[in-house]
Amino acid sequence: MKIVKLSRIIEQLNLDIRNAQDQVHREVKRGYTSDLLSDVLANGEEGDVWITLQIHPNIVAIAGMKGLSGIVLINGRQPQEETIARAREENIPIMVSEMTAFEFSGRLYAMLSGTKNDEGI
Amino acid sequence: MKPNESKPSSGADPSENSGAFAGPDSTRYTKIQELVYELKVSDAMMRNIITTTPDTSMSELREILRANRISGTPVMEGGKMVGVISIEDFIMWLGSGKADCPIKEKMTTEVDTMYANEPLVHAIGKLDKTGYGRLPVIDRQSGKLIGIITKGDIIERLLHKLEIEYHEEEIHRYRASHIFEDIIGDKVALTFQSSVKGKDFSRAGEASSGLKKTLERLGIHPQIVRRAAIASYEAEINVVIYTDGGTITASVQPDKIRIDVNDTGPGISDVDKAMQPGYSTASEWVREMGFGAGMGLVNIKKCADKMELVSTVDKGTHLRIYIDINNTQEHSKAG
Amino acid sequence: MTKGLRNKMKLEQLKEILQAKVLCCGDHLDREIEMVCGSDLMSDVLAFIKADSLLLTGLTNPQVVRTAEMAEITAVCFVRGKQPHAETIKLAEARKMPLLTTGLSMFESCGRLYREGLHSCDETK
Repeated sequence: MKIVKLSRIIEQLNLDIRNAQDQVHREVKRGYTSDLLSDVLANGEEGDVWITLQIHPNIVAIAGMKGLSGIVLINGRQPQEETIARAREENIPIMVSEMTAFEFSGRLYAMLSGTKNDEGI
Repeated sequence: MKPNESKPSSGADPSENSGAFAGPDSTRYTKIQELVYELKVSDAMMRNIITTTPDTSMSELREILRANRISGTPVMEGGKMVGVISIEDFIMWLGSGKADCPIKEKMTTEVDTMYANEPLVHAIGKLDKTGYGRLPVIDRQSGKLIGIITKGDIIERLLHKLEIEYHEEEIHRYRASHIFEDIIGDKVALTFQSSVKGKDFSRAGEASSGLKKTLERLGIHPQIVRRAAIASYEAEINVVIYTDGGTITASVQPDKIRIDVNDTGPGISDVDKAMQPGYSTASEWVREMGFGAGMGLVNIKKCADKMELVSTVDKGTHLRIYIDINNTQEHSKAG
Repeated sequence: MTKGLRNKMKLEQLKEILQAKVLCCGDHLDREIEMVCGSDLMSDVLAFIKADSLLLTGLTNPQVVRTAEMAEITAVCFVRGKQPHAETIKLAEARKMPLLTTGLSMFESCGRLYREGLHSCDETK
């Protein structure tokens, strides 16, 4: 696995970033796909991008606590206003993808393992 | 003479058939394959065996075969099978123009046999390989001859079995599609009601699972069944999560399914908000169970052709879902 | 490994790719999987069409099997080495629905299956 900058992921996987645009230099080491808050609390690691359907404000608190690089909401799920407000405070980028969890995870996995031309440049 | 074989290719592996997209012919084929593995030799064999003895004469054999309309018999001596004599042997003897003689001079003594509890497919394979017209059937425990099996018996048994199953399917289909035609009345509905226990998460979904099976049995289109089941299931989960219990009543009418989900509280304070995707008042434990993400009502609305939600705080919630039985268009299969 | 490649595989092969263990209905591993849904939210699972599909999930309660039944999912694979409740296995056996468990994360499981050309359960419409 290699490390990819958040900006590359946003560009190549067509993410809509909603806040913390100045944080796109963050490095991403891994993806973590889960809709269970307790699971991410237990198993999330610094440098993860968290891929989830959950949109309520607690996701920001967990991402901040675990030092995650960002949160990707899949299936085009829109974050609640309060969630974005919290994310601004905590400086956690929230991004929206139209893909399903499976497809987004699959493509990010390919980028991080460098097996696909998604790798680019 | 070779009987016209329907040859269900004994060597083929039935699992090779990729079920989902197989055409009607191949499902029929699979059914035969299933049957030849499922049925035992004893299911198809003739139990009423006509036997001869080694000392029966060839001229007597002719009478035995003709009178019983059979093409061969096992030859028995002292309760033991010592050979098989067939119509082919008889014709050979006749053609040679030789004098009458006892059967023992013309019979086949190296006899292939089948065990009664072997699957039918083994008999098909053996008949095919050896070219014999019949095989004596032996009981595995006692070693005694208990029957005889021919290709004709196998074909007859398979056809009979297929016919029975086909017939049952027809009756089933008839019942389902004509159920309303057979009932006379201005307004007809079949109603099923189940109660749902509140807070009992382990049993949540039982009512909807039952409803799904019932609708399937009624022969309703699978897409309609799926939509009704999903809508009912989401509603059932809501009753379990938020209330102390309620009822689900499904009413199947000739043109639609109506599902009523009623509970006695606590009610929804802002129905419009509750309908928004992602809005939820569920507690953390519910979310950790994989529910309460605020998509339940949204999903119900998506499945329903019409939905009515009336709720009074502290009194209860009444959800009514209509699904048009003939509307199979819009939820077509993806991929 | 080009994009848009659509593939199918038998559960048997999928099991190898995910290094998964079979928890029940091991005699049904010749069933084919074409689509995958990775989710821990059952309402999300219900929102998609599921012909010939696998559900990857971190949830292990009996509702997973009931949800899969409603959505007509072929098989379920639990991620992160999760062991389901006995009740969950019982329900799945009654429905002849194979259950598997893999030590891999949801992310890694999705990554490996996506690489093999399986695709997402697309939304109904």
